[in-house]
Amino acid sequence: MSSGNAAATIRQSPAGPSSLELLRQGITDIFSRFRLIRYLTAADMKKRGSDTILGNLWWILDPLLQLVVYVIFVSVIANKAAPDYPLFIFAAIVPWKWFSAVVGDASTSVVSQGQLIKQIAFPKIVLPLSTASAGVVGFLWGLVPLGALMLLFPDRISLMLIWFPVVAIVQFVFTLAVAVLVSAANVFFRDLGNALGHALRLWWFLSPGLFSLQGLEKTGFVQHHPIVATLAGMNPFAILFEAYRAVIYGTPDGRVGTTHPPDLVALGYLLLFSLAFLALCITFFKRVEPEFAKVL
Amino acid sequence: MSGTSAYAIKAVDLGVRYTLRVRRKTTVRTSVANFVLRRPPERFWALRHVSVELSHGESLGVIGPNGAGKSTLLQVLAGIMRPSEGTVDVRGQVSGLLGLGVGFDPELSGVENILLGGAFLGIDDGKVHELLPSIVEFADLGDFIEAPLRTYSSGMRARLGFAIATAVDPDILLLDEVLATGDANFRAKSKARVIELVRAAKGVVLVTHDMEWVQEYCNRALLLEKGRIILEGAPDAVVRLHLERTAEAAEARQAAAIAAGLDPAALAGGRGGGRH
Repeated sequence: MSSGNAAATIRQSPAGPSSLELLRQGITDIFSRFRLIRYLTAADMKKRGSDTILGNLWWILDPLLQLVVYVIFVSVIANKAAPDYPLFIFAAIVPWKWFSAVVGDASTSVVSQGQLIKQIAFPKIVLPLSTASAGVVGFLWGLVPLGALMLLFPDRISLMLIWFPVVAIVQFVFTLAVAVLVSAANVFFRDLGNALGHALRLWWFLSPGLFSLQGLEKTGFVQHHPIVATLAGMNPFAILFEAYRAVIYGTPDGRVGTTHPPDLVALGYLLLFSLAFLALCITFFKRVEPEFAKVL
Repeated sequence: MSGTSAYAIKAVDLGVRYTLRVRRKTTVRTSVANFVLRRPPERFWALRHVSVELSHGESLGVIGPNGAGKSTLLQVLAGIMRPSEGTVDVRGQVSGLLGLGVGFDPELSGVENILLGGAFLGIDDGKVHELLPSIVEFADLGDFIEAPLRTYSSGMRARLGFAIATAVDPDILLLDEVLATGDANFRAKSKARVIELVRAAKGVVLVTHDMEWVQEYCNRALLLEKGRIILEGAPDAVVRLHLERTAEAAEARQAAAIAAGLDPAALAGGRGGGRH
C-alpha cells in the first residue's frame, strides 16, 4: 500500500514469516512511517489540550498534587522523611507519571482505532509509538514543576544534571517496549486495562520512589531475606529512580552537595535489556497484528 | 481469466476463520475459564474455498445477503486481514474505501484529515499536497472542509472518504457500499469516477446491494452466501440467481412463520433485494 514499494504485494497465508523477518518488518514500518507518527502525535496532543479544561496544565498539576499527598502522608503522618523530602520523591514522581501515563494510554491506542484498522491497511505499530512520542511532550511539561521545585532547593542544583537526558533516554526505550506490548495485548484481553492500573500502582510502591534502596536494605525484613534486596535492585525503576535521584538530589542520606553521576553500569545493562525487550515486543506485535482486524 | 500474467488480483482457495470473540469480547477471565475448562475455541468460517481472479480493466461486483462474507473478502484483498488458508496475490497499488465515513480523526478538519489519510495510506507528503486541491474539489464540501470532521453528516464523510480513496490513482480500487450514500449529485459523480478508473485499465472490486449498478457497470459478478461462492459469471445471470434465492428465502421464512402460527403479513417482503 505504501507508494514506494507497492509495485507487487504478494501475501501468503497460513505460514507466517520468521521472528527475525517480523522484527525487520516492524523496524521498517517504524522508519517508513515517521510522518504518520508525527501527525498522530500532533493530533493526540491537540485532543488532549482541547478536551480537558486545563489542557496540558494537567501534566504540571498532576505530579504536584501527587507530591502534596505523599509529602503529607510520609513527613507528617509517618514522620519518616529524608531531608528535603519533596525533591527526594519528586525526582521519582515525574518520571513515573511519564511511564504510567504512556502505558495507560498505549493500552487503548490500538483498540480505540478499531474502525480504522478494519478499513485500511497500515502498520498498526505506529499507534503505540505515537502515544509514546506524545508522552515525551507530556514529560517535558512535567519538567516545569520539577525545575520549579529545584529552584526551591538551590543548593542541590549541580552540573550532574547533564546526565538527566541519558537516564531519560534509557527510560524511553523501556517505556516504548512496554507500550508496544500492552497495546497489542489489550486487543485480545479487553480487561487488561483494569489489571494494568493495579499492576502499575503496585509497581510504583515496590519501586524506590518514596524510599531509597539503601533505606530498604536497612529494614529488618530485608536483612533477614537478602534476596529481596537483590530483586528490588533488578527492578528497572529501581535503577532509573536511583539514577534520577543521583543527579537531582544526591545521596540518599540527604547530605547537600552529594549529587553524582548515575550508576552507568546498571544503566547500561538496563539499556541493553530494554533494547532486547523492545525487539521482543515488536516481534510479538507483528506476530499478532494480522489478527487485529478480526478481533476488533 | 484471459492470460495468466495479466491478473491484478489472484486469490486461490481463500478461507478466513474467526477463532476469537465470535460472540463476545475476550477477557483474561473468560480466557482463563476456557483454558481451565478445556473448552475448544469457538470457530467460524467467514469465508471458505473462495477463488477470485481479477484482470486489469475489470470491474467485479460482489453481491449476497448480509453476513455472506463480502466485506471480509474485501478486507483480505486490501491486506487488512490475513487469510487463514489459501493465498492472495495482489499486483499494484491498492486503495479502498471499506465501510463508510469513519474518517481518520473526528477532531481534525477536512483538510487535516486528507493529510492524515495520505500518511495512513503511505503516500508521499509532496504527492498529498499536490493532490490536495483536486481532493477538496471532488469532495465539494464548501466551507466545511475547514471544519472538524465530527460536524460532518455521514454523506459528507462518505464524500470526503471517496475523494481520498480515488484521488491516489490506485491500480486496484476496493469499494464497499460506497455508492449507496451521498445525494443524487454525488452518486452520479462517484459513478462517473469509478467508470473512469475502470476505463483506465484499473481493477475495481465493488460490494453493493445496488443490483442495477452491477448489471450496468460491472463486467463480472460474484454471488457469495455464507462465505462460499454460489455463482460467478455474467452480471445478469448472477443477479437473477441472487434475486431468486432471496425470494425463496423470504418464502421459506414466511412458510415457517405460518407454520409457527404467526401473522405472515408482518413478515411479508422481508428483505426484498433490488428491483428487476
